[in-house]
Amino acid sequence: MTPSTDPIKLEVFKNLFASVAEEMGVALCRTGHSANIKERRDYSCAIFDGRGEMIAQAAHIPVHLGSMPLAVKAAMEGRPMSRGDTIILNDPYRGGTHLPDLTLISPVFGEDTSSPLFFVANRAHHADVGGMAPGSMGVATEIFQEGIRLPPVTLVKGGDLNRDVFDLLLANVRTPEEREGDLEAQLAANETGRRRLLEIVARSGAAETRRYTEELKAYAERMTREAIRRIPEGCYRFEDYLDDDGVTAEPIRIAVAVTVKGGQAVVDFSGTSPQVAGSVNAVYAVTLSAVFYVFRCLVDFDIPSNAGCMVPLTVIAPEGSVVNARPPAAVAGGNVETSQRIVDVLLGALAQALPDRIPAASAGTMSNLVIGGTDRERGRPFAYYETIAGGMGARPTRDGVDAVQTHMTNTRNTPIEALEHAYPLRVLRYEIRRGSGGRGRHRGGDGIRRDVELLTDAAVGLLADRRRFRPYGLQGGESGQGGESILISPGGERPLNSKFQLRARAGEIISIRTPGGGGYGRAEGHA
Amino acid sequence: MMKVGVDVGGTFTDLVFLADGRLWTHKVLSTPVDPAGAVLQGIAQEALAEESYQIVHGSTVATNGLLEGKGARVALITTAGFEDLLEIGRQDRPRLYDFMVDRPPVLVPRALRFGIRERVDCRGRVLEPLEDDGVTSILSDLASVGVESIAICLLHCYANPSHEARVLKRALPLGIPVSASHRILPEYREYERCVATVVNAYVSPLMERYLGRLEEAVGKGRLRIMQSNGGSISAAVARQEAVRTILSGPAGGVVGATAVARDAGCDKVITFDMGGTSTDVALVDGDLRVTTEAEVGGLPLRIPLLDIHTVGSGGGSLVWIDEGGALRVGPQSAGADPGPVCYGRGEQITVTDAHLTLGRLDPDRFLGGKMRLDLERVGAVMAAFARQVGMDPLRLAEGVVTVANATMEKAIRVISVERGHDPREFCLVSFGGAGGLHACALAQSLSMPRVLIPPHAGLLSAYGMLVADVVKDYAKTLLRSTVSTSFEELQAVVSLLKEQGFREMKDEGLDEESITTEAALDMRYLGQSYELRVPCEQDFLSRFHDLHRKSYGYANPARETEIVTVRLRVKGGVEKPPLATVEEGSADPGTACVGERRVFLDDEWVTAPVFAREALRAGNRCAGPALVVEMSATTFLAPGWEGTVDRRGNLVLTRGGPR
Repeated sequence: MTPSTDPIKLEVFKNLFASVAEEMGVALCRTGHSANIKERRDYSCAIFDGRGEMIAQAAHIPVHLGSMPLAVKAAMEGRPMSRGDTIILNDPYRGGTHLPDLTLISPVFGEDTSSPLFFVANRAHHADVGGMAPGSMGVATEIFQEGIRLPPVTLVKGGDLNRDVFDLLLANVRTPEEREGDLEAQLAANETGRRRLLEIVARSGAAETRRYTEELKAYAERMTREAIRRIPEGCYRFEDYLDDDGVTAEPIRIAVAVTVKGGQAVVDFSGTSPQVAGSVNAVYAVTLSAVFYVFRCLVDFDIPSNAGCMVPLTVIAPEGSVVNARPPAAVAGGNVETSQRIVDVLLGALAQALPDRIPAASAGTMSNLVIGGTDRERGRPFAYYETIAGGMGARPTRDGVDAVQTHMTNTRNTPIEALEHAYPLRVLRYEIRRGSGGRGRHRGGDGIRRDVELLTDAAVGLLADRRRFRPYGLQGGESGQGGESILISPGGERPLNSKFQLRARAGEIISIRTPGGGGYGRAEGHA
Repeated sequence: MMKVGVDVGGTFTDLVFLADGRLWTHKVLSTPVDPAGAVLQGIAQEALAEESYQIVHGSTVATNGLLEGKGARVALITTAGFEDLLEIGRQDRPRLYDFMVDRPPVLVPRALRFGIRERVDCRGRVLEPLEDDGVTSILSDLASVGVESIAICLLHCYANPSHEARVLKRALPLGIPVSASHRILPEYREYERCVATVVNAYVSPLMERYLGRLEEAVGKGRLRIMQSNGGSISAAVARQEAVRTILSGPAGGVVGATAVARDAGCDKVITFDMGGTSTDVALVDGDLRVTTEAEVGGLPLRIPLLDIHTVGSGGGSLVWIDEGGALRVGPQSAGADPGPVCYGRGEQITVTDAHLTLGRLDPDRFLGGKMRLDLERVGAVMAAFARQVGMDPLRLAEGVVTVANATMEKAIRVISVERGHDPREFCLVSFGGAGGLHACALAQSLSMPRVLIPPHAGLLSAYGMLVADVVKDYAKTLLRSTVSTSFEELQAVVSLLKEQGFREMKDEGLDEESITTEAALDMRYLGQSYELRVPCEQDFLSRFHDLHRKSYGYANPARETEIVTVRLRVKGGVEKPPLATVEEGSADPGTACVGERRVFLDDEWVTAPVFAREALRAGNRCAGPALVVEMSATTFLAPGWEGTVDRRGNLVLTRGGPR
């Protein structure tokens, strides 16, 4: 803290910036069209200073956290931005995470400034962005199969929508009307952020506002350093596996060495498997997000999620590995599956240093289910996307929570009554998978069983994991049960892989059973 | 007929009486263990001799039962395969960056959740008929496990309630309260509907006992209960639908404040009720606005509630410095014990202590002089804290107030800006013990032109109960495209709801002439999953597009829309007694000035007059800086603000008065 830092203004500006990001989120949620945004809330909003450093992000989806700054950076590098412009991008190799996440970035100019004072950005997961499979989360082997890929391009120029880009984008997706509505909502969110930031500048002055953006970054950095100082110094190693990439049966290794020293941490993923043919490759932004998330959880206080949090952290991710993939690797699952495993290995390493604070492994997969086709009754194409929660790992002092989103995601479910109204699907069961949590002194949370019947022939895809390599227990606790996926047909049941793409017929049932969390401590009577 | 409004608070129970157009008040100490005791005592002291009287009552029984986890043992009957709905919720966790996060408690344990074979689809078509044997066996199980209340929530019952109705009919003979979701919240989204139904089942037996005791003492048919939607219902309905009273107390405050403001010529109002540990804010735009998106105790409650937003910050909020060097206020509170430093026992600075340090509280006139605030003690603690932070104590005290204001401002932004309202068009109505100390600063930072501070803040809530209309909300989820729905069909749905509304209003003892209705539609673009509410009139479509543009900045009249829910609000008007007037005076407050205090402002001490609220006369004017003290509250008139007393004794603060 510089001697002249005012603790009061620090707190006031912290509240101000946080509320801007939150108001952006409210605007997006209220105006969005798809169930994905409104019901599931799969989006994030953030604000950045004139240099593109993050000042605040609303607490939406952790996997977007560390990755949004790279989006703003890519936009700044990609295009000169003027007053009234908005850039859109989703290219994982240029600021994105995976193709369904469309990010909109807008500069915020003052009345008479020639360069932006701020940037506002929001990212939303769209239920379909084209590609080989409905939902754009299929078992691809190249990014070209995963959907339309947008490097940073100008969507709005000087306040006017660039119809060329818009039409090109909409022509490449399965549900253009819904996309259009969601993009309008994303534009509305950035506009809300822009207006609010200018109000703050009008009230506090540009110099003072700029100063406190710096102070807030320094503040978050101090808080993160304090949290790291509470970890005993040393080097902690751990490794774990993804079952496979959906193309071959080869397990994929994620290895980490966390070195803690002098209020800093170096997180080194050397020894991790090279990138693979299937889509579980994570781009660097995703890996950063996972690291960011874990250290953010170690800070006990409510701090702004901003660029300062990353300063004490160094991330080494070998280029061309599954934690830092290069084009043209397919990446849809890196964001949702590999990100969870990265958290698992980080926690496994830190559990050695902080056995009283770190929980056992949680479900470790988002169980991404996509069903798409043509809805004859309603006469339109549909693309339904859902992530299914699992068990939370047991904590050092209590059981893990059952049937809950953990770590890198916090999206809600689509209500059954909303889903059945919108899609030719019927949910037959939605229940807790009893006994799937690992036993221990504290029990891992149980997973979920969700059975969905198709009312029309459709393409069905799943991106999931933790079948073979189950969520680990800690300090003697047992592993959670692995996940299962089963196709139930009139003729009988057929087990499916954790990652599949198939055509199913009306009347068939997809039954997904998600993993339980690991247990913590030796169970009584099992000493 | 005499009417009595009663607000049961933590310390006092306030009563407002109305007879023959005359209004008078009474205050008794609350009896927290048996809240009915104080109510009965207050009434006995004034009114029991009356031939006929009616009580309208704000009850915290349901709220406390829910928040303290003291509700009934409930069984839930639901569609087989969905017994865990209540536990899975929406799958999300309440905090992101916290390994130790837990969900709000599940109100029905696993062993008491029963699945039943049946299925209806989203259009209300029966896919699998209800299995009567299943119902029989569940009901016999229930009888043996000893439950106190039953909740029923079947999938898609908003589209076709026949299965639920059959289960309900079979369960009633058990003789315990039964709550069916198609009655409590006939709207889609199964988890939210289930929660509302279960909460109702959970708190209704408590309400039943409480109202039973009250009715025993005052006689049947005399009690009405304030609902969370700002209207009252009969005790008979409240016993069955107790979930509708979950914000009963705060709703009375909002209704009272709104009535007082309307009388003073303000229709657009933001209410601001800052107490010791928390602050309630609400927005009223002409009419009382309800939300169907409220959360209480971490649970979504989709029944219509006044949109009251609560933040955990009040006069007693504790001040601390976090590891990164930021000054924090709350959410922990000194509460009543140990209380702020100036009460003599607390060790940690609170917002109240900061006000005292700055001269904005008069230590000799707190609670009418019944309690002396310890200025020296605060001085010592504040100085020590300031040294630790490396700040001047006065600057630190100002900072505490600034940070508290920032929290309040954020709360007001949530109910105004985030809902598409511009606070500059609203009047801030401040009540509650600590509100008057922050009102000017808040109005200033939100550019609100006017602040209204009614007299007798404590009685405002009881007054609100007295003037609250009888209000019932009805709804029916349609989920139909406007392409295939005519206005006539919508009117048919509205008529059905009206029929029910009029019938139930007559049961409440209202004349048909006093009943008014408002029909509305929750609409959205096809594919959206969030609705906007427009009046159900011929031009509903264009109104929807207009509202969408107003709310979100864009509209697309070419896109197909759908009607999600048809709503009907049925209102039975009640007599609105005129408020008391205060004696006229001149512009000069003269004798109301009871002293002076030194107040710290902009780096210097200035002298400010202190006025006694009860001595102020209509027409009196006072310029800031000034303090206006009353029994339970102090108002700080900031420099640049002028206060005028209106004929009702309201203090009306406006900006631009003489400096």
